[in-house]
Amino acid sequence: MSLLERIAHPDQAKVWYGEIPIQSRYTAGIAGERFFREIKDNGRFWGVRCPHCDLIYVPPRLYCERCFAHLEEWVEVPTTGRVHTFTVVHLDLDGNPLPEPRIVAFIQLDGTDGGLVHDLGEVDPEDVCIGMCVEAVFKDPAERRGSITDIRYFRPVC
Amino acid sequence: MKEFVYDCVYLSEEDFAQGQVLFETWKPVAHYAWDAGIAISRYLAELKAGRLVGVHCPSCGRILVPPRMFCQDCFVPTDGFVPLQDTGTVVTFSICHIRWDMVRLEHPLIPAVIAIDGASPGMGILHLLGEVDPQAVRVGMRVRAVWKPPEEREGAITDIRYFKPLE
Repeated sequence: MSLLERIAHPDQAKVWYGEIPIQSRYTAGIAGERFFREIKDNGRFWGVRCPHCDLIYVPPRLYCERCFAHLEEWVEVPTTGRVHTFTVVHLDLDGNPLPEPRIVAFIQLDGTDGGLVHDLGEVDPEDVCIGMCVEAVFKDPAERRGSITDIRYFRPVC
Repeated sequence: MKEFVYDCVYLSEEDFAQGQVLFETWKPVAHYAWDAGIAISRYLAELKAGRLVGVHCPSCGRILVPPRMFCQDCFVPTDGFVPLQDTGTVVTFSICHIRWDMVRLEHPLIPAVIAIDGASPGMGILHLLGEVDPQAVRVGMRVRAVWKPPEEREGAITDIRYFKPLE
């Protein structure tokens, strides 16, 4: 037995298999809760405005990240926006090919200083361009559960 | 400042069950495979055969258990496996009335470090004591391994059920 000793047969190598049980539950917080409730109940987006910096945050938050002001001015914002940046995804999280490529984009919502990361739909990957006008497509109210997936995707508007 | 401070919101299990709060859940699949290496692979194979083995250090001459590729005192590769007895001496022990997840146990568990006969003094393994009144356990007590029947062994430290007093 030495440094040069090697396992000569696979049966000699012992591998211990196990599974670590992990489960997490995420709540969106006070501002996030209000944002998702509005999507679920009314299919609308809410933002919050900082009067000092003249910024409209979407998703809304409780504090301005520039001036640390407490934000209370809630405003309805459009469900339309522009593709700020995008990527075409061909593999899933495990590295397996996806049946259809998925287009993930950051959509800057019109009239706001924020936006959402979401899928683009009803469009071919080669037709997507930066600056493209898109709108949110919501699930039926009965299917919504107060989640970002209550939005099916964003689709082009011409 | 008070106006900028929100009251704490404490969420109970009921709030989630009754839909008082929106939430997402995530359950990652955290499978793992731990490579036992050369020394421990042999150790586990020997356990399956109903034997305990240690390794010999050519520098200090000690017999180490569980087996390892290096002597951690001498930084020298160990040079061979050595058969050991399945008897030993309790070095230290604890009486546990709750499980790892804080559930109360009906019968307490007695984990102990057992110095194995045939290995160098103080060289031992962590295991359970059984067939003994917890109040009767003493440091220095002589014990013997109680093995699972051969057909139930799988090459694991649990192939030894527990150690019981020799007498």
